[in-house]
Amino acid sequence: MTDYQINLTDTDRIVLKETMNLILPPVDELPGAGDMGLASNAEELANRIPKYGLATRRVLDAIALDPSARAEGGFAALDQDQRNSALKTLEASIPETFDNFVDLIYIVYYSDERVHKRIEWRTGPLQPLGWELPPFNPQILETTAKRKPFWRKA
Amino acid sequence: MSIKHPKTDILIIGSGASGAAVAWRLSKSQFNVVCLEQGRWIKPEEFPNEHSDWEIQARTNWAFDPNVRGLDVDYPINVDESPIDPLMFNAVGGSTIHWTAHTPRFHPSDFRVKTLDGVADDWPLTYDEVEPFYDAYDELMGCSGINGDPANPPRKERPMPPIPIGPDGERMAKAFDRLGWHWWPSDSYVNSTPYRGRQACNNCGNTGLGCSRGAKGQTDVAIWPEAIQNGVELRTEARVFRIETDAQGRATGASYYDADGNVNFQPANAVVLAMNGIGTPRIMLNSKSDAYPDGLCNSSGLLGKNLMFHPYAMVSGLFQDGLQTYKGPLANMILCQEFYETDPAKNFVRGYTYQVARSSGPISTACGYMFGRVPWGAEHHAEFERRFGDVTVLGVIGEDLPEEHNRVELDPKLTDSNGIPAPKVFYKLSTNSRNQLDDAIENAVTALNEAGATQVLPTRFLKVAGWHLMGTARMGEDPNASVVDRWGQAHDADNIFIVDGSVFVTCAAVNPTPTIGALALRTAEYIDNKRADLKS
Repeated sequence: MTDYQINLTDTDRIVLKETMNLILPPVDELPGAGDMGLASNAEELANRIPKYGLATRRVLDAIALDPSARAEGGFAALDQDQRNSALKTLEASIPETFDNFVDLIYIVYYSDERVHKRIEWRTGPLQPLGWELPPFNPQILETTAKRKPFWRKA
Repeated sequence: MSIKHPKTDILIIGSGASGAAVAWRLSKSQFNVVCLEQGRWIKPEEFPNEHSDWEIQARTNWAFDPNVRGLDVDYPINVDESPIDPLMFNAVGGSTIHWTAHTPRFHPSDFRVKTLDGVADDWPLTYDEVEPFYDAYDELMGCSGINGDPANPPRKERPMPPIPIGPDGERMAKAFDRLGWHWWPSDSYVNSTPYRGRQACNNCGNTGLGCSRGAKGQTDVAIWPEAIQNGVELRTEARVFRIETDAQGRATGASYYDADGNVNFQPANAVVLAMNGIGTPRIMLNSKSDAYPDGLCNSSGLLGKNLMFHPYAMVSGLFQDGLQTYKGPLANMILCQEFYETDPAKNFVRGYTYQVARSSGPISTACGYMFGRVPWGAEHHAEFERRFGDVTVLGVIGEDLPEEHNRVELDPKLTDSNGIPAPKVFYKLSTNSRNQLDDAIENAVTALNEAGATQVLPTRFLKVAGWHLMGTARMGEDPNASVVDRWGQAHDADNIFIVDGSVFVTCAAVNPTPTIGALALRTAEYIDNKRADLKS
């Protein structure tokens, strides 16, 4: 993979953070994804993975061009309903790009240990612990094993 | 700079499911064997399951799709004309690094579809001829399972008992029982017990990301150590770009790039091609010569044609009983072959298998790998919690039929990092396959509802599903209608063999690797027993 630098401005970073708060709003004791400080993680991954970089750049550019966001104060100055409305309009107009952008936000959010704790997911690598499962119990075969062979002779 | 190596008896290209099998079998013979692999060894600590960011790696540098991974060791594939993305991996072990190791066998009828159902072609061999090699490959790779499946012929005792099917598997099994449908624990090359120095699986889940415990049947751990100990030379980062031939069209060896970009030539008495159903025709098409103006051993004109995938659909069931369905090997619990054979009452021929699969971690859940993307915004958290660890999937593997217009060609512009032409895939989903999938979806909805799903979500067609690459150098008795004979030996040259999924005449409705491995062992036995002339 080649690096794709999305070159965020300070304004972009503010919009990214606010957008993340809309996509993944506060829940229980956790603030929204932007307020959790995850925008820098998103920026890092967007710079690393072209698919996410292109999506982020395009979404932020589109938000900047949205008439409602061009009022004084920009996107950050809009109220919650206006921001949600702007994002839903964007989602409808560039669905594939928007989905990639949402995936990026989900990836950084669900990589965070605070989120893992809340959803009761064991953080860290899958190995070496793995998971416990009861061993196979042949009694489960009782019904299906009674069936006469029905494979087709050839 | 060009480097010429000492001549070997047998040169194998590709170290995956089939190349490793040939190397292992011939390592017990008197032949000198060299294997060239374009990838490198992957160390256990490199596998994503050893890292906290395993779910990110699964979408980036460890993605199934080489076009997404984009590593130097991969080659790009032009998929502009294909609704299915081919998947593969390039390393010692090939795509067995990445596979989920679900290992059902072909049925006897799968070798006789022309005779039985009047479609495609019969194979030039029978199930009974392949059976001993299935057994040998199961033993080599390590198969967990149990005898007695009424949908299949009796078989030898499995080397290991079944892996746990888990409470989610039991739930589906009981639903199939209530419907009167077949089900059986899947044969899997996943260790349920320690096996030949490799550990038992500890149910971490993501068999598709390589196994650092050695609990999955990957050829890098299951086969290569013994083959190398027996004297086979496995040369890595050796990217073959051309099979060289003499004026009579017999192979003289292969040319390849090493890691420094040097051109090397490895002479050999015979060449065995094991680069998968896309990689093999790619290099053969790139090996044109005066003897083979249309590509290596292509007098039939069928090289690259009749590409078969298994077009996949999946139907996901959402449950509300907190069974934590991410626990256990991802795609290995039970299978259902109730609808495997042709039913004259239906609008398609041949049939399909259900492969029952699990869910995965939080990123996969949110991004919708198993049950659609969780909506963003105010509803997100409640919906995520409803889905996380509560999804069971019925994957549909339908039998694709060979069609010449489905094919692999060389792309005129796209190349890999060494400038070797990349493959371009042309594929159209047939009406027969579409009808199969539609029928399977309808029945899967019934099964998941019976199991107690509170919501069922069909995915009519998976784009990222080209796991199985088959048919592009088919086997047959007639040199005008096939590329290789019943032993995998090219009709056009008696010292060129093909052992990967390219040789499949038809593809059945099951994962192909046990059949690929069995046929590779069979070809190797033929070489050992009948081709002493290939020994220097």
